[in-house]
Amino acid sequence: MTIIGTMATNNPPVIVLKDLRKRFGIGDAEHYALDGVDVRIDKGEFIAIMGPSGCGKTTLLNVLGLLDSDIEGTYKLDGIDVSTLGSIKRARIRSRQIGFIFQSFNLIPRLNVLENVALPLTYKGIPRLKRLKAASAMLGNFHLAEREYYMPHQLSGGQTQRVAIARALVNDPSIILADEPTGNLDSRSSHIIMEELSDLHQRGNTIIMVTHNPRLTTYASRVITMLDGKIDTDTDAKKPKKDTTKKRPLGKKSKTTKKRRAKKEKK
Amino acid sequence: MRFLLLNHIQNARDSLRSNRSRSMLTMFGVTIGVASITTILALSAGAAQIVQQQIDGLGGNVAVIRPGEKPASAFDQLTQLPVQQGYTASTLTNNDLRSIERIDGVSAIAPLMVLSGAVSGDSDAPKSTPIVATTPNLEQVNDLQVRDGQFLDPSLLGSTAVIGPQLSVDVFGTEASIGKTIAVKGKEFTIIGVLKRSNAPINFNGVDFDNAVIIDTKSLGSISQESPQIQQINVRVDTVANLNSVIVETNKALLRNHFGQADFTVLSGDEIAQPTGQIFAAIAGVTAAIAAISLLVGGIGIMNIMLVSVAERKREIGIRKAVGASNGDIVAQFLIEALALSIGGGVAGYLLGYFVAFGISIFLTFDPQFNFAIAGVALGVSIAIGTLFGLYPAIRAARKDPINALRQYE
Ligand SMILES: Nc1ncnc2c1ncn2[C@@H]1O[C@H](COP(=O)(O)OP(=O)(O)OP(=O)(O)O)[C@@H](O)[C@H]1O
Ligand SMILES: [Mg+2]
Repeated sequence: MTIIGTMATNNPPVIVLKDLRKRFGIGDAEHYALDGVDVRIDKGEFIAIMGPSGCGKTTLLNVLGLLDSDIEGTYKLDGIDVSTLGSIKRARIRSRQIGFIFQSFNLIPRLNVLENVALPLTYKGIPRLKRLKAASAMLGNFHLAEREYYMPHQLSGGQTQRVAIARALVNDPSIILADEPTGNLDSRSSHIIMEELSDLHQRGNTIIMVTHNPRLTTYASRVITMLDGKIDTDTDAKKPKKDTTKKRPLGKKSKTTKKRRAKKEKK
Repeated sequence: MRFLLLNHIQNARDSLRSNRSRSMLTMFGVTIGVASITTILALSAGAAQIVQQQIDGLGGNVAVIRPGEKPASAFDQLTQLPVQQGYTASTLTNNDLRSIERIDGVSAIAPLMVLSGAVSGDSDAPKSTPIVATTPNLEQVNDLQVRDGQFLDPSLLGSTAVIGPQLSVDVFGTEASIGKTIAVKGKEFTIIGVLKRSNAPINFNGVDFDNAVIIDTKSLGSISQESPQIQQINVRVDTVANLNSVIVETNKALLRNHFGQADFTVLSGDEIAQPTGQIFAAIAGVTAAIAAISLLVGGIGIMNIMLVSVAERKREIGIRKAVGASNGDIVAQFLIEALALSIGGGVAGYLLGYFVAFGISIFLTFDPQFNFAIAGVALGVSIAIGTLFGLYPAIRAARKDPINALRQYE
């Protein structure tokens, strides 16, 4: 399992943030939701971001996903400073490279499940029939094939979230940004989703996931905790690591991944 | 890109379908507006065709001279109220008549002066009865058919008149009224001829001869103190081949007479075939006003609904942007939705317009016409309204910040 470790160090950085700040409001209401974030994320990493509510996790994901470009500091994506990109280029990167899974489910209520999943392909200019086929195949992976023509309000919470993940993946994005993908799901449903994400990770995708559940960090190759818009701890940084889960030193979580993998191979 | 456009169209259809009654109501304003335009254009094309047939029937060698500058396109005619000819002083003079007469190739000319005034026989004629003062040549120029008696003749002594068959029925109760006396503006005229029924209330003379009383210009002095106003000069050319040269010469001669001022128009062929009746002008004016108001109301309705729709679908916009829609994609999506509303309204209006036109034509002597220009105007107006009033909401939609849109958790 050292493979993943070496992968992380040898791969070129996908994301480099230097003194990233995000301000909301003006005057007395001024407030920095991100207050000097420095981080480097390599290709193929699976990062879990934790931290108390309101510390800026969603804000960070929005910046990373190029939804929010009103920032201070530098953000380099694949070596390109994003401040040099126009809105059309940013839209294209969102369309081809990034898959979003939002904190709340965020399906379009007017469209059925299949159309929701096919949505990202629309903006790649793929014709309707091909789009729906690809979406249907993706839904099959999530055991939602028989829910294709349901409307979002007819789904359970877990199903909705799986649809949202299917939508994030249908584009075959290299970076997946997941904001509490297991939000309020039971542990079994969470497990299914996490398995899917770690599968993607093993296929070489970069995954950045926000979670409040410390148990889920076991799937990650690196855990970052945030506090008040700053990075509090980072298991990847060459500084003493904080043991957030007591029993399992997160820096060596690769062991668990190995176990899981071994289990899979047995099957 | 092509697929994206197709997708926007499918998307617009779905979105409008999910709000069916709202969409229908929104379209209504545009429907009324386009229906008014279609009705008037279809009827005026029908009228023009009737006139065209009359001119073709005359052998294609007739030119018409009217006072005033050349009317612009048919669409301009629709949007601006035509000046009512009777109330403006004509720029054509007797001098012009004499000049035209001398041009080579002119076989006959006749001026038309239309007055209004009291006409009565055994009983009073309707108030709107036209009194036409002309010369005996009109019979030849216009190929008028006389049912009984004869047309005006310079050799006859006394005041004579020729009347239309309908007028004859109105004031004498019979079409056979030769020899009877008719009072025109208080002066008595002897009827020497009754015209054959033409059933052409709309024609290039702007006068319904079936209802008219026709007198010689020479008698005019005895019934009217004002100097006569020549509303139109009809010119018959000896052969079609000479028509163009006559038109050129006429223009030259009249320009000379008018000291270089082009305050007259020489028309031939298709150009003559534009509706001239005053009633028609009034209808066109009223319809244009209805059309303009309902299009404005319809457009504002579309803008309003689109703004509501943008506000309702903030999240959808945020999601679409997050999965890769550019601002242009969002603008296109909402603009196409607005266009779908306006074009939908326009198509309904086009159909309704013809429905109304056929309804009205029951009371008229001609039928509405179908042509591509009318369909084109209906479509063009719809697209213009959709774009004009849909662009602002669409741009508003694209400007929505996706972060705020996605931040409202359920
Ligand atoms: N549009 C906005 N306007 C003003 N303040 C904002 C806006 N968006 C976020 N903030 C503020 O930024 C801070 C960080 O918000 P963010 O949504 O990133 O928190 P979070 O870490 O995702 O929290 P949670 O775990 O509850 O989702 C919060 O204090 C929030 O109030
Ligand atoms: Mg959050």
